[in-house]
This record gives sequence, structure tokens and C-alpha cells, in this order.
Amino acid sequence: MTAPFSHLDVLESEAIHIFREAAAQFRKPVLLYSIGKDSTVLLHLARKAFFPQKPPFPLLHIDTTWKFKDMIAFRDKTARDFGLDLIVHTNREGIERGINPIDYAPSVYTDVMKTQPLKQALDQHGFDAAFGGARRDEEGSRAKERVFSFRSPGHRWDPRRQRPEMWNLLNGRLGVGETVRVFPLSNWTERDVWRYIAREGLDVVPLYYAARRPTITRNGQLLVLDDDRLPLQPGETPQMKMVRFRTLGCWPLTAAVLSQASDIESVVAETLSARTSERQGRLIDHDQTGAMERKKQEGYF
Amino acid sequence: MTALSAIRQPQAVPEPAQELNGILHLLTCGSVDDGKSTLIGRLLWDASDLYDDQRETLKKSGRTAGGTAHPDFSLLVDGLVAEREQGITIDIAWRYFDTDTRRFVIIDSPGHEQYTRNMASGASHADVAIMLVDARHGVKRQTRRHAGILDIVGVKRVILAVNKMDLVDWSQEKFRAIEADFRELTLRFGFRDAIAIPVSAVGGDNVARRSEHMPWYTGPHLLEHLERLPARDITPAGPFRLPVQFVLRDGLDFRGLARTVSSGRVCVGDRVMDALSGKSAHVLRIATMGRDLEFAQQGQAVALQLDTDIDVARGAVLSCPQTQPAVASHIEGRLVWLWETPFDPRAGYLLRTATDLAPISSIKIKSLLDLETLAAKPAQGASVNDIALVGITLGRPVAVDAFAALPGTGAFLIVDATTGASVAGGGVSSAANGSAADAASTFRLTREMLEKGICRDLGSGENDRHEFRRRANEAALLLRAAGVDVKLEL
Repeated sequence: MTAPFSHLDVLESEAIHIFREAAAQFRKPVLLYSIGKDSTVLLHLARKAFFPQKPPFPLLHIDTTWKFKDMIAFRDKTARDFGLDLIVHTNREGIERGINPIDYAPSVYTDVMKTQPLKQALDQHGFDAAFGGARRDEEGSRAKERVFSFRSPGHRWDPRRQRPEMWNLLNGRLGVGETVRVFPLSNWTERDVWRYIAREGLDVVPLYYAARRPTITRNGQLLVLDDDRLPLQPGETPQMKMVRFRTLGCWPLTAAVLSQASDIESVVAETLSARTSERQGRLIDHDQTGAMERKKQEGYF
Repeated sequence: MTALSAIRQPQAVPEPAQELNGILHLLTCGSVDDGKSTLIGRLLWDASDLYDDQRETLKKSGRTAGGTAHPDFSLLVDGLVAEREQGITIDIAWRYFDTDTRRFVIIDSPGHEQYTRNMASGASHADVAIMLVDARHGVKRQTRRHAGILDIVGVKRVILAVNKMDLVDWSQEKFRAIEADFRELTLRFGFRDAIAIPVSAVGGDNVARRSEHMPWYTGPHLLEHLERLPARDITPAGPFRLPVQFVLRDGLDFRGLARTVSSGRVCVGDRVMDALSGKSAHVLRIATMGRDLEFAQQGQAVALQLDTDIDVARGAVLSCPQTQPAVASHIEGRLVWLWETPFDPRAGYLLRTATDLAPISSIKIKSLLDLETLAAKPAQGASVNDIALVGITLGRPVAVDAFAALPGTGAFLIVDATTGASVAGGGVSSAANGSAADAASTFRLTREMLEKGICRDLGSGENDRHEFRRRANEAALLLRAAGVDVKLEL
């Protein structure tokens, strides 16, 4: 017999409800797949929601060309293994202008290589809803977001005019030009994501597990060198260190942590006893006060 | 230990991955400046697993709570730039923390009257509500409004936190007077559990530890009380309901009616019925990824495969044949108006139930709740933040239950047909079986008319039937907007 309900069972049911509700109401949804642990859980829940069907939407990856090589390999294998359509979109114009995370401020880089191409891809394909793995526990402005987060034409988020969202009645009726971001993991915490990965036995990108990797320390942050595009400053010598990532983004903008946790059990144990929040490792969020809120208003996830 | 956790145990989870026994959703509400954000911040600071960098950020902010040496705890909650700048909470914020056995979800709602709709939205997700009042001012109009909204959205447990006791010299007399007002207020509504606790959020008195300043108070402190409350009620009470959300297909053989069971339970072999069409079939299979189930109960997301294809779609509510929901084209209900645009009798509205969306022919506002007297006063209109008793007549019948008995199939939204906005939310108080008497002026839009005209291109497949219904709804809306009373007969 099946035994409901631990808190993970409750969260799982809720996420499945959200997926089905969105698929029933929107014309053309897409799942924004960013390869990280949250996307892994998101995709697993999407498969559960529509089993025995395949999820009735493709995956979309916004490729900045600065993701870790392991991430790209994992992305392609995942799409292949599950037989899902994968759309990869890069802002070519940004590449031609030479916008990169090393020479440009994080806010400029994120706008040109992440926010703009996301809007381009959504518009080009005419997606009216996009699933994302964002969680309310990640950051202050995320904590305010609805499960169905409406965006006005131009994908702008207006935190002052969010629709009321009552009970589990998710109203997906769109106004003219509106689109929606859908967040099935809204009520999950980082700890839940790892507990669930362990419980369900999910594969994640190997970078989440500790291994000896070439690192440098810059501005107090531990960076892993994924290729030779990051020019070393005087005095910097790559050193092999036992590190892993709590969060994955573009490699020059994502800091690693020293860790011995090389399997799922020890990663879960480490996560449950962590003393700092995960976005510590995301350099773009520290760019300026309210950075995430501003990015979101401009159309970032 | 609850019975459910006892059931859970044989499924050995690795030690650190331990799953928590349940989730308690906790709403905080009050007027502006009652100190809600500070109270939550304090609770997080004292009782939760806050990360070190979050604590550091707060200390480094340099802001202190009004006139004290304590950090400004409200910064832990107010996430939007505008909120920090103005020092007010605009929208609900969600925060999460765990104790050893339980997940707490804190839903912090705005006190500002103009954002009451955000409070209503947050309250609908809560198992328990903390209502804050300032010890200097006691129970106010906004407190009564909040109590009314909590009652409408189905919150059964409330706590009155009488805050800023430090500013009234920890006066027992003051507290008892406010407690008496609160008792009177709670008696008017259907709360199952109500308690008043004197606190000082800034100092942490009676938040997560007993206050030294109020020896006269012998009840539990806030966290103590919260840990004792039962988590969300998930025992499969009530009759079986599964409002069909999505139809899953796999080849020719599998057609699964998917959704989370909203109440009761269902077993393989049970006969289930679609009240709208009156058709029934037996449950052949309860599918989830990984394995099929023998039974499914309230809260489980499943897909039911039936032994005969009875042609049900999104909007149908599956039940046992003996205990069916009402099939009604007229319902009586209570609602809170959520949108800035007031109710307009000429506008087009839709009724959203668990999974159905039906055109509304008319809404009659019968009365509004007077927040001073808590009595119903006759009214014709409703505008933002009003609590109203209404009668709703629909263009076609929907399957619903009384909200008090089955909130999962008794809650509804009123949706603006043009903008799509959720303009009101409420619960069904009574739903008559059968349709209301047709007025002579009512135009009957029948299946035949549609088949010959705007739905001529549609076949009998699943998608086409869905599209048929969509076009029928839209046609009814357009006619309604042109001033024609429409009754859909499909």
C-alpha cells in the first residue's frame, strides 16, 4: 500500500498538479531546462505528471556558450535518454559583439546572453507558458512570486500587479499579449531538492559531486577553470583542489566550495548541515541591491 | 507520532535525507505597523535554520528595529526593493523553515488595506493564521476584515498575537481587554481553535521563548503553540472526488483521467460516476510513474483508467454513484472581491471551479459584510476588498460541493472574461440541483446550432470536443456581452 504523506510527497503532488494544470490551460508550453539540480527535479516531475505519455512540451536551453562542458554533455544525454525535443538557443548577436562574463559586468552579460535570448526564443516559437525551476526560498523577490507568474507583453514582471492566486485554483486565462512563467518547485527548498534527488535516485551533473579540479581563488571565491578562456592575473596559479558546486551557472560566474562529498548521501548530509545559502555561489546576484528583482522585471526567469 | 509517520517508516530513507512529517502553513496578517514582518523575522532568527550569510547580511544592513539595539528583523522578509524603501509589505512573501519534525511555511501578508486581496490570496493556502494587533490599539476594523476573510477561505485555526506589549508596560489589563474583544470576534465565525498570546516581536518575548516581563501569562509561547497544532489535515475524510484535470493518452489502449484526489479515496474496481453526464464506469487501473496503485486517497496525484470510455473531459468531477456532487446552474456563495475594478453587472464573467470554467449569465450581489457590526447589509455592488453574499446563475451546469464540507470542490474564482484576471474568490454555500427557471427572454444556444455553424469543422476526437466546448463558451460570452441572456444546451 502507498503511504502518503511525508513533506516530500506533498511537494511532489503539488508540482504534478501545477504541471497538469498548465498543460491543460496553455496552448504551447515549454520547459526551460537549465541543466542544474532544480531542472533535474523539474524534468522528473514533468515525466511523472504525464506518465505514461511523454511530457507534452519541448525543453528549451538558453546556451550562453559559457556553461561547463560537463553540463552540455549531461543536457544532450538527458534529452536523448528520455526521447524529448531539445531546443538550444544562443544570442548570436551577443556572441558577435563579444559579450562575455569576464570583460563585462554581470548585469550586462546576464541581460545580453540570458534574458534577451530567452525572450527571443519564447517569441520566435510562440510559447505562451514556460516552466522554470525557480524556488521561493532562493531570494527575496522570488519569495514574492506566484506559481503562475504573468508577464505583460515584452515579458515584464510587475510585482505590484500580480494576480491573486487562491487555493489550488490556478487561473491560466491570458489577457492580450500576456505570457506566463510557471514554477512547479515554488515551495521547495534547496534541502528538499537534494532529499528528493536521493529518494528518487536521480542522476545529476557530476560537478555537484566533489572531485579534484583545477581552481584559482579570486575575490575570495573559488573558481574552477573549465577551459583556457579565463586570463589568469599575476600571482594566480591553478591548483588542484577537492571541490564541488552547490549551484551551477556560467563557469566564470559560479563559485565552487571545498568539499569531500563525492556521492549523493554525503551531498545530502552536507546540504542539510550547510551554514550558508546557495546563492552565495552566484556572483551575478551580488552585483547590486535588488539585482534579481530588476532582472526579473526585465524578463529574466 | 502520527499514524501516517508510522506508515512511512518501513521505507528506509538514508539518515540525513529524513523526510519531515508534515507541512504547517502559517499566515500572518495585521494592520500596517503592527510589526508582522518583524515578528516573522524574529521567529526565523530565533527558531529556524537561517544561514550564516543571511544573518550577516542583516547585521551588516546597519538598520535597527525602531529605537532598539536589535537588528531590523523585517529585512529578512520584505524582499522587494519598493517594500524595503517604503518599509511596508506589498505582496505576500513565502518563507520556509524546518524544526526537527516539521516544515513550517510562513506566508507573510500585507497589512495595507489596498493590498487586502493579496492577504486573501495568501490566506487560502494557510492552515493557521496569526493575526497581529498593536497592544496600544487592540482589535481594529482591519482585524475584523481579516477574520472575515479567514472564515471565507476556510482557515479554521487562529492566533491573536498582541504585539508591542513592551510599549504598554507589559500590562495584563490591556491584554485581557483585547483578548475579550478577540473572543467576541471569533465567536462570530467558524473557527475551531482560537488563542491570544501577548508578545513583543522586537525583544522576542513569547515568540520562541517565554517572556520574563509577563509572569502573569501562563499559556504557551508562540512557537510552542505552533508546534502543537496538527499539520494540514490529510486524512481521507469525506466522499471521493476527483475533478478531471487532464486526459492522458498512451497508444490506443490507455486513456487516463488525471488529477490529485481532492477528497476521500478510490480503489481499483470501484464504480465511479461523472455527475454532469450521469455516466459511470469501473476503475480498471490507478496509474502513477513507477507503479500502479491499488487505491488512491486525498492528496495523491494519479491517473484513473476506466473499463469503459465514458467520454469525460476536464471539468467533470468523478465521484461514487451514491454520493455525487451537486450539478447546478445556480449557486449561492460567499466571496471576497479581489480586483480594483468593481463588480459590473454588464461585464462578462466566468466561473472557475476545481477544473471547470463556465460562462456566468448573471451575478446578483445580495449583501455585504459590514466590518463594524459584522452583520450583513443589503447591497447591489461589490468593490475591492468587499466580502459579499452572492447568487450566481450559469450558462450551463457545473459539478460542485458546499465549501464548508468539501473545500476542494467547493471553492471557486470569478474570472473576468476579457482580461482573464481573477476578480473574486469564494466558496459555494449552497448549490441547487437542476437548472434555474429559464426566463422567457433567455436565448438557448444548442449543440445543433453550434454543429451546423461555428463548430462545423470539428469531429468527435478528444481535442475537437474540447475545442467545441471552448467555442461554445466563447460564443455564449459574446452574446452575453451584447446583452443577450444565453443558456447553453450541449
